[in-house]
Amino acid sequence: MLLETLAAGLQATELSHTLRSSIWLYPLVNTGHVIGIALLFGAIAPLDLRLIGCWKGVPLDHLSRTLIPVAIVGLVLAVSTGSLLFATRPLDYVVEPLFGIKMTLLCAAVLNALLLRLSPQWRWVRVATGAPPRLAWRIAGIVSIVLWLGVITAGRLIGYR
Amino acid sequence: MSPTRTPLMHRLLQLVACAAIAIAASMPAFAHHGWTWAEDVNSELTGVIVAAKLGNPHGELTLDVSGANWIVEVGQPWRNERAGLKDEMLVKGVKLTVSGHRHADPKKKVFKAERVFIDGKKFDLYPDRD
Repeated sequence: MLLETLAAGLQATELSHTLRSSIWLYPLVNTGHVIGIALLFGAIAPLDLRLIGCWKGVPLDHLSRTLIPVAIVGLVLAVSTGSLLFATRPLDYVVEPLFGIKMTLLCAAVLNALLLRLSPQWRWVRVATGAPPRLAWRIAGIVSIVLWLGVITAGRLIGYR
Repeated sequence: MSPTRTPLMHRLLQLVACAAIAIAASMPAFAHHGWTWAEDVNSELTGVIVAAKLGNPHGELTLDVSGANWIVEVGQPWRNERAGLKDEMLVKGVKLTVSGHRHADPKKKVFKAERVFIDGKKFDLYPDRD
């Protein structure tokens, strides 16, 4: 299988070997992954709750200006450290169903965020203060929270397999 | 701008709390972490290494114990190093004894090693445990 051939190639690299045999590097990468997730989910959850209808008095414009950059930094950190964790034992992860589920949920969550951010209606955030929540945004907020919780749960469960 | 929780948020929080409890409750059923999945009593296994998968995040030996293959969990690199175990000592064909705990489910041939004995020499992975 192509995927397993690629995984075998990655596992044979010096980087993979270094990660596997390291005393400090692997735990540090792991820590970076947790910090990335904390920044991402910590920023996206209040934003989603605001979209769903909580804290209507707080301007969405202000929230998104601070929380979106934090979420992006968190995502970049989580994905880059996650790639290193994957590179440690790619042969194990490509055959792990939970890993496939996690990647699918991750793609869906990122796509959901991009679609919302790039939608023409997003311009309305500036006038949305105090306005009743839009149904589409409510749904996007709920979908986002559920998907990110799914990504985190699947990721954590992989560690217990 | 009311500081009280909206019913919707309340429902969401309840949902998240229930999910968290369900996940937390299912955790101990998995191997690798801690001893909750294993028997309380100490036991021993003696066999020959069939395969070794060492390094992060988990070290695992496949041990042939009188014809049956057991998965024996050993330490991560830092724990093996502290115990004096080197990767070169845990290769195919090496005969060893491990002491530790069997999986609580007798059908699962999984063993958590606390100590490894090779040629009568003891390597203690968990010096603080019985």
